Amino acid sequence: MSALDILMVVVRVAFSAFIPLCFIAVCVWMERRGAGFFQDRSGPNRANIFGFRAAGLVQNLADAAKLIFKEDVTSGHIKHKFYFVLAPLIVFFTAVVSFAVVPFADTLVLGGKSYLMQGIPLDLGILWFLSFVGFSVYGIILAGWSSTNKYGVLGGLRSAAQVISYEIPMGLAIVSLLVVYGTIHLNEIAQFQGQLLFGFIPMWGAVLQPLGMVIFIVAAFAETNRTPFDLAEGESELVAGFHVEYSAMKFAVFFMGEYVALFVSSAMIVTLFFGGYQVPFLSTATLINNAKPVAFLLMIAVPVAMHYFAGWIRRSNVSHYPRENDPRVFEAEIYIKCFWGLVIFLEVVLLLILFADKGGPAAHIFVMLLQMATFLVKITMMIFVYIWVRWTLPRFRYDQLQRLGWQTLLPLALLNIFVTSAVVVALS
Amino acid sequence: MNTELLFNGFAILAVLGAVGLVLFRHPMNGAMSLVVTMVALAGLYALLSAKLIFALQLIVYAGAIMSLILFIIMFLNLQEKDLPEESGRWYYLLGGVVVIAPIALFLIKIVKTLPGSEATIVGGGFGGIKEVGLVLFQDWLLPFEIVSILLLIALVGAVVLAGKRRLGK
Repeated sequence: MSALDILMVVVRVAFSAFIPLCFIAVCVWMERRGAGFFQDRSGPNRANIFGFRAAGLVQNLADAAKLIFKEDVTSGHIKHKFYFVLAPLIVFFTAVVSFAVVPFADTLVLGGKSYLMQGIPLDLGILWFLSFVGFSVYGIILAGWSSTNKYGVLGGLRSAAQVISYEIPMGLAIVSLLVVYGTIHLNEIAQFQGQLLFGFIPMWGAVLQPLGMVIFIVAAFAETNRTPFDLAEGESELVAGFHVEYSAMKFAVFFMGEYVALFVSSAMIVTLFFGGYQVPFLSTATLINNAKPVAFLLMIAVPVAMHYFAGWIRRSNVSHYPRENDPRVFEAEIYIKCFWGLVIFLEVVLLLILFADKGGPAAHIFVMLLQMATFLVKITMMIFVYIWVRWTLPRFRYDQLQRLGWQTLLPLALLNIFVTSAVVVALS
Repeated sequence: MNTELLFNGFAILAVLGAVGLVLFRHPMNGAMSLVVTMVALAGLYALLSAKLIFALQLIVYAGAIMSLILFIIMFLNLQEKDLPEESGRWYYLLGGVVVIAPIALFLIKIVKTLPGSEATIVGGGFGGIKEVGLVLFQDWLLPFEIVSILLLIALVGAVVLAGKRRLGK
């Protein structure tokens, strides 16, 4: 192994391990600010460090400090302590590991070698994701059962039954997708979606498989136990469901696992239906060949976007009542300076690419970074959809939930498989 | 060297899980040890470069079937006092060991007489989903379809057995 090989292993593992963890903070922040936005209030905006509130991100730090220093209670009535501790770990671990096969950029070619840009360069693709989604049920079942608490057991039962029954429409939706793509390898699926339909529509899964997309997204909502399918923790009925006995960091691990699962399922939806890391209309080859024009356009577009963004910060980050020497205006100026610093850094990087060799390693790395950024932007948009749905729709009743899964989604998914197979066979 | 370590690790885990399944008194402990065995077996399949079987073992056996078993155990909510009295179980175990020991010795002898051969990694996408699918649908189509009909019959039977009984019957 050369030094480059080792560096690439480190980069890939670091990306696929740390990005989901970093996105916990982003998700929690988006959830709270999103909830505030949909309910016409501000959301968390008081916690600060020396007056800097970072639009509410500092609240996460306060939460983390609270959860770390809280007393970790394990009630005396819990007999199976091993399973009680194991359960949150399973939920968290399976969520993080299932991201390992999601490609976050196209295969990188450096020095005549190609590197698959995913945590574990395995060609199992979607099967790996399915197997680890199945495993996360263990965490829920063990947590509910070992709590020895009626609410806990009820929450665990509901949640496990829900996850198990929605795995079936999800699996069937994936089957019809695989018929279209002809591969289980997520990287090949993303490459397939880089093509253009009739020359101008991106060949995304959402265009080729609209019904499959609806089924998959509904099933993914149910799998992550999010509203409208969050009966497992229906506060009004079950207090908190399967994690009612958990406190401090054990609860925090559940909480983080839930958000990592949210991130990973958004990543899967993006990879399967929204082109993955592909920049719309620009395939990898086009990007590498035209790295310089793209970099030049970005050099113009980024400062323009930043100008409007700065204006938005200046308008939004003010006190809601007249104050002398408004500290929030001062705060906003600091943020704007930081962002301009970032933009200048970006400009320097883009300038370097303008002067690099055409089609050389710099172009490849530039395209990789561009695709990573696209992927993360797409995931963030998908997470926003999750939050949007959560704060818009009320909760299902339990029998409605099971009826939707078994009597609506399952037949629809089967129908979708037949129609898709017929079309694929007719076209080939 | 690495593969040998991994093989030994998985093999020991699989055997320990199986022993735990037999010896634990609480059904939840038994089911969890069976999960350990299933996962260890998946690891052994992966060492044999049977990637598809590895994934299927994780999805079907370790994932779906075992989580249903765990679900049922949770549903029953067994307490310590509900468990049956098993006073003579050590005698049964001893009897089982006495019966099995000669067979095990025989098997060990057979394994020892196997000619040693160098293990190499099979290339050419062996064990991948495409290769297995091609073999299954080209060379083994009829057996594959017959097995799927068998599964269909089992499925229909399960639905009939679980279906609503008519009143007055």
